Formats: sequence, structure tokens, C-alpha cells
Amino acid sequence: MNRQIRIAGIGVIVLFLLLFFQINYLQVVRASSLDHNHLNSRLALAKFTTKRGDIISADGVILAHSVPTSDSLKWLRTYPTNDLFGQVTGYVSFTYGLEGAERTFDADLTGANSPLQLPHSLRDLTVKQDKSQTVTLTLSNKLQQLAKTQLGSRKGAVVALDPSTGAILALWSNPSFDPNPLAVHDQNAVRSYWQAENANPDQPLLAASFRRRFFPGSTFKTITASAVFDKQPSLALKPYPTLSALPLPQTGGQSLRNFGGEVCGGLLPDLFRVSCNTGFAQIGIDLGGPALADEATSFGFDQTPPLDLPEVAQSFFPPGSSFVHDIPGLAKSAIGQQNVQAVPLSMALVASAIANGGVIMKPHILDRVSNSQGQVVRTYQPAPWITATSAATATQMTQLMVSVVQSGTGTSAQIPGIQVAGKTGTAQTGNNSIHAWFVCFAPATQPKVAVAVLVENQPATNEATGGAIAAPIAKAILQSALQGP
Amino acid sequence: MIADPTYRLPARRRTELGLIVLAILLTAGLYILASLGKAGSLPANIGPFLAIVCGLLLVAHLGMRKLAPYADPILLPSVALLNGVGYVFIARLDRHLAGLQAFWTAMGIGAFLATLLVVRRARDLERYRYIFALLGIGLLLMPLLPVVGQNINGARLWIRLGSVNFQPGELAKIALAIFFASYMAERSELLAQGTLKIGRFLLIDPKYIAPVVMAWALSLAIFTFENDLGSSFLFFALFISMLWISTGRNGYLFLGGGLFVAGAAMALKVIGHTKARVDVWLNPWTKFNTTGYQIAQAQFALAAGSVFGDGPGQGSPQRIPEVATDFIFAAIAEELGLFGAAAVLTAFLLIVGTGLRIAVRCDRPFEKLLATGLSLIIGVQVFVIIGGVTRIIPLTGITLPWVSYGGSSLIANYILLGLLLRISNDTSAPEMVTVGSADATVAT
Repeated sequence: MNRQIRIAGIGVIVLFLLLFFQINYLQVVRASSLDHNHLNSRLALAKFTTKRGDIISADGVILAHSVPTSDSLKWLRTYPTNDLFGQVTGYVSFTYGLEGAERTFDADLTGANSPLQLPHSLRDLTVKQDKSQTVTLTLSNKLQQLAKTQLGSRKGAVVALDPSTGAILALWSNPSFDPNPLAVHDQNAVRSYWQAENANPDQPLLAASFRRRFFPGSTFKTITASAVFDKQPSLALKPYPTLSALPLPQTGGQSLRNFGGEVCGGLLPDLFRVSCNTGFAQIGIDLGGPALADEATSFGFDQTPPLDLPEVAQSFFPPGSSFVHDIPGLAKSAIGQQNVQAVPLSMALVASAIANGGVIMKPHILDRVSNSQGQVVRTYQPAPWITATSAATATQMTQLMVSVVQSGTGTSAQIPGIQVAGKTGTAQTGNNSIHAWFVCFAPATQPKVAVAVLVENQPATNEATGGAIAAPIAKAILQSALQGP
Repeated sequence: MIADPTYRLPARRRTELGLIVLAILLTAGLYILASLGKAGSLPANIGPFLAIVCGLLLVAHLGMRKLAPYADPILLPSVALLNGVGYVFIARLDRHLAGLQAFWTAMGIGAFLATLLVVRRARDLERYRYIFALLGIGLLLMPLLPVVGQNINGARLWIRLGSVNFQPGELAKIALAIFFASYMAERSELLAQGTLKIGRFLLIDPKYIAPVVMAWALSLAIFTFENDLGSSFLFFALFISMLWISTGRNGYLFLGGGLFVAGAAMALKVIGHTKARVDVWLNPWTKFNTTGYQIAQAQFALAAGSVFGDGPGQGSPQRIPEVATDFIFAAIAEELGLFGAAAVLTAFLLIVGTGLRIAVRCDRPFEKLLATGLSLIIGVQVFVIIGGVTRIIPLTGITLPWVSYGGSSLIANYILLGLLLRISNDTSAPEMVTVGSADATVAT
């Protein structure tokens, strides 16, 4: 009998070994794949039940905050500034996931990426530590609010940044959206709000400031003029005829007309100051497609700006080779029409390139991350993105842009005592309305702020309309930004 | 009882006391950690908790000193630890159940002491074999009675006595183990030898094999009418292995295996929910929203626990339905990780191993078989439920001994523990202590 009992004992050991191997298999070998099984809501729920730190503006206003709740998700994310920063903070939605800064800085906010800290007490070992971290943005509530007030009910976008660091100071587009209804825990309410926002033809969920493209119009002449200095400096000395319309080759008699039939011509500074379409169209033809496309790429077109927000749009300039049999297209592209499309963020970066000696710094909204004890654990370090042009060209371009504000199309951006450099844009959209643009920076000699303003679908009468509509907004932003916080 | 003035308490009891203190420390530590992890504060009732745990185990230990001083010192502390860990998890999952479990634990320890008190020698049980047989079968069939029988979660395993639901099958397994042991101890010769000659083969007389067939039929009946695959398998496995151990005839193992396959095949064909259960076992994911939910959540819980666990009180095992009873192992594996789960397995292996060692040391076949049977009950039950939770085998609702929530289960398993320790004491006690028992001289 003892022999059988011993065999039975071995049998039990074998059964227990089976159990032991199986728990090893489930808890070690398959653990990760089970964790990520699409039916497993543990990870997802853990994400949404973890306390998230605040998102705050550079001037200390709370933009996103978690409030404890008694339901299964434990925390409700709230956005005290409602739609003002909706497109920047994004949202935390159990239904639709994460968006905006909530997505980019998810690991910072939940503390998932925080370094393992040695426990200070028994409590630290046993109780879930508050790992949430606060993310401070470079955006200022004051400037954002000003941008919103200035733009008012008009559709458009305002982007302001520090050209020397790439720090975004304001990133507003109208219409925006309120993230609060997307963060609530009532799934049906979330769904209906989401559907309503998506049905809105103005697409508030798709921020005009960094996710949508528009004809840049004459603001693109900044790049065309830079191309002259960089690619073919002799053109800067070439007088262009005074015209009201430029006959276009390859068209059989069509011509490119100045806005409202105005007459202009002369040397590059004059063409730039009054934003002469006929002159710049001819410059584009003289430069040639490849040179102009190359310059646009240098200024960041056809590349995604490395902004620390999800899904940033690219500005578009056609490939240089596409103009070989399309000289009219080249002429129109040189003045920011035809196929050229620009994201407001990109145009702010173009201004910042001139302001910063030709170098575009990486645009960013993160300033610093601090832990729940208030200690800063990470600070954003500015870094160059691309070199758009030479320092010499930047200096010459600055002079051209200063003249625009002093005595050209952008006089409404003048600030007493401060030299402002800018360029207007009056982009024709084809249906008797224009996009009014203004890109600028100040002070011209030691730039602290670069701004791009876009006001969509405005009635237009002349080439100066863009400046007249958009420049005052930019001026207000510049003034406020230069005053300091 | 102990008249000899030179009597000294065996060192085994001091070992036991030391191990019990260790079990109390582990349980109390875990209880505090679970409360810290869940609520971030020390448990409010830590004082009463410690008093009750210490009190119960002290009573059990003093009972051992008095009633079974020579018994094995490892079993009681191991059970105390498992019971303690189980209680901590039940308390962490459901405070109401925790109160009941505390009551049932006290009743269990009462039943444990009563067993030691009533059964002064294991061999005395041998005499009442047919009473135990009737008792076992009666208990098994009780849930089928009208009035008292209760259907819970689709299984008719319960009887209602006043306001208390009781699962008589838990006690039946012990009664039947006693019956099997005594029946086989007596008939092992007959069961081992072929006596019927048919052609060239020497077969076992049908009248001796009849009990095997009856056990098979009984377990199938339980399964069919009470919808309890786990207990049915447990009885059958117990019976066949005891038969094999008592006779040494491997043929019984093959016969048992064959009958099991036949029974399982029949059940699969005839009884619809058996197939459903096997389907869920093979693929719980496609039935995630219905029958597969529980087992799928258990897999997720184990995966979430990984090697070191989420920490006591810091996981979310409450996502598994019925986690405090059938699925308590998944909760432990989630919060204590692979390490905690392996520790629980080890504790059970220690108990089963100790039980089998007691069996090997017995001199008389009855005690040998009974100790083996009782140990195998624990071993098989642990395999069936943990195997079910971890998807080695199809899930059958059965408790994890001493760990799961459940009154009948706790009481029955404490009685089982009492019997094992009684047998252990019988085999280890020096003869002069049991003066007055003429039979004692038989043992050496």
C-alpha cells in the first residue's frame, strides 16, 4: 500500500506542478498579451481611474483639473476655462479617448513616466502614491483671452510665440469647443455632444490654428522675398515695371491682376511694402519653380512642425518640378495663391524665422512638469528645428517688414515706441471674400514675440484689406505680450 | 487522561505554537496591508481582529495539547495560515461575507475540537462503516428533497435549515471517505484477486466489483441531478484512487479512467450545459458577454497581478463575479502575484504531503486508507478549482479548502483536519500514554 500512497503523492505533486506552470504561464508569459486583450478594460479603466495632475497656463490659471467622484471612474476631468483652451488641452473622454495636451502629456499627468521614488515610510510602500504631475504650459491665459476677445465672433486663428525659444504664447481659433461635455461620465451625453460638434461645418474639433490650411496670400511674399536674397540676389536690384496686370505666359492672353486694379512696380522693397502682386508674380517666374519650392521647404512647408500636440497639419507648397509647364501656377504660387496652403502656426513660424536670425526653434507648449510636492521634474529645453534662411537675409527681411508697418499695407500694426515688423495678406478665396492675414514680430531689433493672425472669409476691397482687418488684432497681442505677464 | 507524572509535553506542540504565531503574524500583516492599500488607513477593527484570531488559534492549540499531543505540528498552522489569508481577502472584497466567515471559522474550529474530542481513536470509526455510508449518501441526496433543497446558481447543492444555507455534500465526502476506507481495508484481498475464471482470464467477481460501479453511478447521479461536476469528479477520483491504493491493482486505474471517459462523453452528449461549460473552457473570449465573462475576468486578474501582484487591497478583483467563493484564488493571484499564488499552492502541497506521510506511517490499513483519502480530497479539490480558475480544466464550482468563503466547506474541512490529526496522534503516540486501550499493543 505504501508504494501506491507514494505514487499518489507523486501524482499530487505532478498536478500541483501543472498548476504552478499554468500560473507562471498566465502571470508571466501571457501577462502582457492578456493585459492588452481588447476585451480587457482593466488597463483602459486604470488610465481613467488614475488621478491626473493639473494643466496650468504660464500665468497660473488652471486649465484642466481632476475632481474626485463616487462613480466607478473615480475622477472627473474638468476644464475651468471651457472653450478658451479646449483645442490645446484637448480632453480625457472614456468614450473617445485622449486628445490634445491630455494625450501628448498623458504619461506626465498620470505620473506613469515619473522615476521610481524610494519610499520614505511604510505608508509609501503600501498606499498607492499620488504620482500625478502638474504640466505647466507656455501659453498665457491673458494672451489667449485677448486673442479670443480680439477675434470676437469672426472665424480665424491667432498664434503667438517667442521666436528665440519656440514657446507658444497663444494658440486660439474660433470656433473652439468646450472639452467639459466630452469628459463627463454619461456616455450618451458625451456621444450626442460629439456628434453635434462633428456635424458643425466650422469643425471646432479641428483647430484652425494648427490643424487646418488656408491660402496664405501675400504673407507668402515673405518667403518669396527671402528666396530673392538666398537664391538670386541680383533680382533685388532689378526694377519691376509698374503694372495693374501681369500678362501670363502659357495662357493665351490671361493676366494676373493686382487687387482692385491697383497699379504698382519698382524695386523689391517697394513691391514688398505695398504688397505688389504683379511684381512678386514676376519675381516668382524669374526665380523659377525649384528655387521657390526650395525656399518654402526651408521655411518649414511640406514638413510637420514638431509641436507637442497631436496631429499637427503641414503647410503645402507644390514640388518645384511641377511648375515646368505651369508658369502661371508659379506666378500665383509666388504670391501665396493657387496651390499654396498654409497653417496659421506655420506662418507664425515663418515670422519667427526672420525674427530669430533665420532659425526656426521647435514650437512647443510645454514649459515644465512638476510633481505633487511641487518640485520641478522636467523643464522644456529649447532646440532649433530648421534653419530657414541666413542671418543676413533675416536682417534684410526685417527691414522690409518694418517698412510694411511704417508706411506700407500694415500701418495699423504700429505701436508707439516699438518697432514692429510685419507682412499683410489678403488671400483670395474665390468667392468674393478674402482671408485676412497678418504675420509680424516685435520689437524688430530684439524680437520677443512673433504673431500670425488669420481672419477667415472677410469682404475685401483692396490689397490693404488683410492688413486693415488682421493687423490690429496682431498689434493688440504684441502690445500685451511685450508688457509682460 | 494523563496520569503519568513523568509525562512531558512533546516538542511537536511547541513547534506548532511557534508556527501558529508565524501564521498569525502573516495574517495580521496582510490584513493591515490590505486595509492600507484599499482605504489608506489602518483597519479600524484591528484590535478585535487580532483578539479573535489569537483566541481561536489559541483554543485550537490548547485543544491539541490536551486531545492530540503527539499529532503532526505542521497541519494546524498551515490551515490557520490559509484560513487567515482567505479571510483577509474576503474581508477586503465583502465586509458582510467577512463577518459570516468569521462566524463559520469559529464554528469550524469548534467542529475541529469536537472531532478530536469525540473520535478518541481513529480505528473506532471503522465499526460504523455502514452508518457512514448511509450518512454520506443521505447527505448527498438531501438537496434533492423537496422543501429543504435549494437551487443556487443552477446547482442543486444546498439545503436550507432555518435561515442558513448548507451544502451537505461537503460533509458527505468525509463520511464516504470513512466508508470507503473501512470497506476496502477489509476487502482489499478480495478486490485484488481475480476469482472468476472466464476462458483464459481471471476476473474479479462481479459482486466485489459492484461497489465500483455503484460509486460511478452515484457520482453520475449527483452530477446529473445536482449539476455539480466538481463534487462528482472528486468522489469518483477519490473512490478509484483508494481502490487502487488498497489493492495495488493498476487495472482499477484503467477501469476508472475508462469509466470517467465514458461518463464524460455521455454527459457531453446528453446534458447540454456540460458542453456549454467545455466550450467556455476552450474559448471564453467569444462568449465574453455571457458565460465566458467570469473566467475571462479571472485570466485578466491573474495577468494584472503578474509576478509581484498589485499589492493587497490595490487590485480590482471585484470585477470577477463570485470572487469570494470559487474565484478567491484569482483575487489572491492578482494582489499577491505569482509569489503569493505559489505560496498558497505550496501550503496546500505541504498539507497534502503531510497527510500522505501520516498515511505511510500508519500500521493499520484502515487508518492508512482514511488518511490517504482525506489528503487526496484536499489535493484533488485544490487541483479542480485552481485548475478551473486558471483554465487547465473546465471550471466546476467547488471551494478552495479553508480559503474560499463558505460555512459548510469550512466546517467539513476542519473536521477533515481533525481526523487527519487524530490519525497522526494515533500513530505517533507512545503506547503507555494510551493505557486502558487493549488494542494499543497491536501498534508498534
